[in-house]
Amino acid sequence: MNLFGVLDINSSALTAERERAEIVASNLANAETTHTPTGGPYKRQNVVFETKQPDLGSFAMTLTRFGDLHARGVKVEKVVQDKTPPLRRYVPGHPDADPQGYVSFPDINPVEEMVNLMGAAQAYQLNVSATQATKSMISETIQLLS
Amino acid sequence: MNWMETPNMQRLEKYLDLLTFRQGLISSNVANVDTPGYRTQDVAFEDEMRRADLRSESDPVSPHVQEVRGLMERPDGNNVSLDRESLALARVQLQYRAGVELIRHEFHSLQSAINEGK
Repeated sequence: MNLFGVLDINSSALTAERERAEIVASNLANAETTHTPTGGPYKRQNVVFETKQPDLGSFAMTLTRFGDLHARGVKVEKVVQDKTPPLRRYVPGHPDADPQGYVSFPDINPVEEMVNLMGAAQAYQLNVSATQATKSMISETIQLLS
Repeated sequence: MNWMETPNMQRLEKYLDLLTFRQGLISSNVANVDTPGYRTQDVAFEDEMRRADLRSESDPVSPHVQEVRGLMERPDGNNVSLDRESLALARVQLQYRAGVELIRHEFHSLQSAINEGK
């Protein structure tokens, strides 16, 4: 793995963490959504991260000596829907109310979502720092030529 | 051995190679900070450097990667510590800069010899 390959690792994490933040934003935005195209209330979503298998065809890998496959990136393997049952609130006049007058709302806890968002932001920031460190190592090497 | 490959230069090359390898592992740890089940990886830097010194120059870098012990594990099986990784990141960066500066110094010595010390 050369330094350009190291940049790829951190950029994979930036993508994954951004995706996680997007999912959190979607959960917060739909905290009160009772109506979805598939029917029923919005369901809380969660990302599942997985280490990425090295992409042997990539530009950076072609430049490296093979054999170093320990350093891995990360990817969002899947987005899962939360299985917790919806909250039922008594709102008889609501268009989505059932015959008893209860409406199903998604069970979303804003505090939990904010903590998740903070985690994503922190991880993003650390990966940006790592990218900057690698970048400065590359540019120092290049300056040997000047 | 060609005239530019002084023993110092060869050692510095190995030093930078090993630092690059370590930077890859740290980046991997940082990238997988939220991956369930991921374990922190690292190399024993001093031991690997000693091993690299004994190796002939044609061998590729193949340091022994190990799991870092003694870190606090989270319930999802991940044991990456942000503090440890950011410290290691700063350390590798400075060591790398030192290595590059030393190479520059080697080049200066050669240049000075070419210019007959003028």
